[in-house]
Amino acid sequence: MAEGSPAKQPEQPEYIRIKFNLPRPYNWSTGRYLGKLYAEAKENKKLVANRCPKCKEIHLHAPTPVCPKCKVDMGWDWVELPQTGTVFQYTYQVYPLWDPHVGGIFADPHPPAIILLDNGVYLRHRLEETDTKKLKEGMRVQAVWEEDYEKRGQGFQDILYFRKIEE
Amino acid sequence: MAVRTAIVGVGQTHHTTKRNDVNVAEMVGEAVRAALADAQLSVKDIESFIFSNMEAFEGILLPDHGIIAEVGAVGKPGFKVTGGGTTGSEAVGEGCHMISAGLYDIVMIVSWQKHDCGDATAGISAAAVPTFAKGMVTGAVSEFAKQALGYMNESGAREEHAAMVRLKADRGACRNPYSHLKLGLTSVDEVLKSTYLVWPIRLYDFCPQSCGACVIILASEKRAKKIHKKPVWVADFEVVHQEPFRAGSFGDPTGTETYSQHVACERLYKRNGITDVRKQVDLAEIYEPSTWEEISLYEHLYFCEKNEGWKLIEKGVTEIGGDFPVNCSGGVLATNPIGATPVIRIAEAALQIRGDAGEHQATRDIKTAVATALGGPNWTALFLLKRSL
Amino acid sequence: MAKVTEKLEGRDVWVYHGKIHIPNTYSAGAVGSRFLIELRDNKRIMGTRCPTCNLVYVPARSVCKDCFGKLSEWVEVSRQGTLLTYAVAHQGGNPVQPSALPITYGIVQLDGADTGFIHMLGEVAPEQLKVGMKVKAVFKVKKDRVASVLDIKYFKPLKRSK
Repeated sequence: MAEGSPAKQPEQPEYIRIKFNLPRPYNWSTGRYLGKLYAEAKENKKLVANRCPKCKEIHLHAPTPVCPKCKVDMGWDWVELPQTGTVFQYTYQVYPLWDPHVGGIFADPHPPAIILLDNGVYLRHRLEETDTKKLKEGMRVQAVWEEDYEKRGQGFQDILYFRKIEE
Repeated sequence: MAVRTAIVGVGQTHHTTKRNDVNVAEMVGEAVRAALADAQLSVKDIESFIFSNMEAFEGILLPDHGIIAEVGAVGKPGFKVTGGGTTGSEAVGEGCHMISAGLYDIVMIVSWQKHDCGDATAGISAAAVPTFAKGMVTGAVSEFAKQALGYMNESGAREEHAAMVRLKADRGACRNPYSHLKLGLTSVDEVLKSTYLVWPIRLYDFCPQSCGACVIILASEKRAKKIHKKPVWVADFEVVHQEPFRAGSFGDPTGTETYSQHVACERLYKRNGITDVRKQVDLAEIYEPSTWEEISLYEHLYFCEKNEGWKLIEKGVTEIGGDFPVNCSGGVLATNPIGATPVIRIAEAALQIRGDAGEHQATRDIKTAVATALGGPNWTALFLLKRSL
Repeated sequence: MAKVTEKLEGRDVWVYHGKIHIPNTYSAGAVGSRFLIELRDNKRIMGTRCPTCNLVYVPARSVCKDCFGKLSEWVEVSRQGTLLTYAVAHQGGNPVQPSALPITYGIVQLDGADTGFIHMLGEVAPEQLKVGMKVKAVFKVKKDRVASVLDIKYFKPLKRSK
């Protein structure tokens, strides 16, 4: 079935690379449980989480319908969390990397940290202090909220960052 | 668990930064042909295929559909596994399940990742659930950075110990013809000069993104000995799930994978009567994306007591000629095509047991080995391989 | 970071309108590159032939799907062929497909090939398409050809002499 002449072999192979650089749009729902956290943050500038009826643990990050430990229905027992804590651990980006949610190279100047809130619950968030030499584990911090009501409604990001409390 | 499955063929590509000369399917085809040659089988003998690949890195949905013809799988049964870093080992586990259940006698595990197609860090960052973790995760590097900090504080290890891990990995990589990063490093000082990515992880503390494929052929007990003179037995394996990115789950504020590692080890070691790993197991091929992770894994996998991991590397216990060699192949620090990496760990451990690892063969005789995998979802996979059951 | 969440009416549920944007680059590989370079440089459509099965694959590929043999024999196939089937898309708005609507896709079996080749159809109204009609490739001008499958603009019906 084959007709036609075979082509001459090229001497220097040229390799073709095809670029694809477009964002893919998505819509993600928070659902009811995370949505409650979003609602309290927007309306009242409060951080809430639900508590497991069996083991009594609070799952802040993120509120969930099933307890990861007990595997039971978490129910609707909501607890308000304190907004102060200590920095358990922090790190900072030196080399800017591609952020897929932003669609570009992005280095957040605010260092990400794990904060131990005053009631013993850990939260991942950012620190206000951008001078890495001034950062210290164990320092006391406080949540700083987005004051503009219209701009809130982003869940955890309604807290802009955690600010060092001057003792 | 009655797993009586053997590894009868192993094949991999020469892992590297860029493969412009092949598309994804052709790259995978190279490893498939290498494994078939090792097992001296024809592609017609393969009864089922399991594919292991993470879609986010090449950005192609349903990656298995593009390579079916290249691997000789047209018309055959099989499916794809994706599970973060542990993908490959879960695929091997699935193969063992199918053979142990008596469904098939010969199964091929095809694993690959062509990282020159995309950006692995960006792909991993995309795993952060946008409604609550956006902006809190900078790829895998920041996760390991937090863990490294915690370890340094608790155990008294210093950055020099992480540098020693990189030196051991580099020596292994330079002896392994298939490995990717062959840096030729000679001193701790040289490693400590490399730049920080996310403090305290330096460039040399972290694994590369490689283009590569690795294929393992599994066979049932009744066929294994007829296919290969030196089948390597999968004596047992364990996969434990955990949740990612939740600070504070299971008592671990950094939200890392310690919990699943402990559970996997406790179950597997108990089932196999292992109470002193370094005495009863001869070698380990562990999944260490960062140098600090390797030191932590020594403790979490019960190779030594808590906070003693850095001493093992300092004393040379885990060197290729040491009492308990770990990652003679160079490990993940030298080669990391994510979908294939756990399969490479199992393949390298199998080569050590067979005595076929060439220049990077461990000095002592290896009869029993452990191969591990871990990944973004904080899952742990643990395999126990033996020369004879 | 952009604020793009939206609260659902009357319920404490939010939807985050986001995106995942990761740039990708794909290697055509040696075989794929040669196929594309022939389109760009010579306006030729090439296939690879399996000597065992006597099949010509277009676009060129490196493995025969039936016998697993490696394909190394290159053959040129005709720029014209038979339209096996087609579809007309009236809805779009997909950023990946920037052509204007309606878009007509067809599978064309080029003379000399044993496989179908997917591409777009042009210079023909959808109502005039018929399965089995003869079509011919229309290439872009040289300066617009970049070693892409879109170096072929579309396939158009062959004019039949009356």
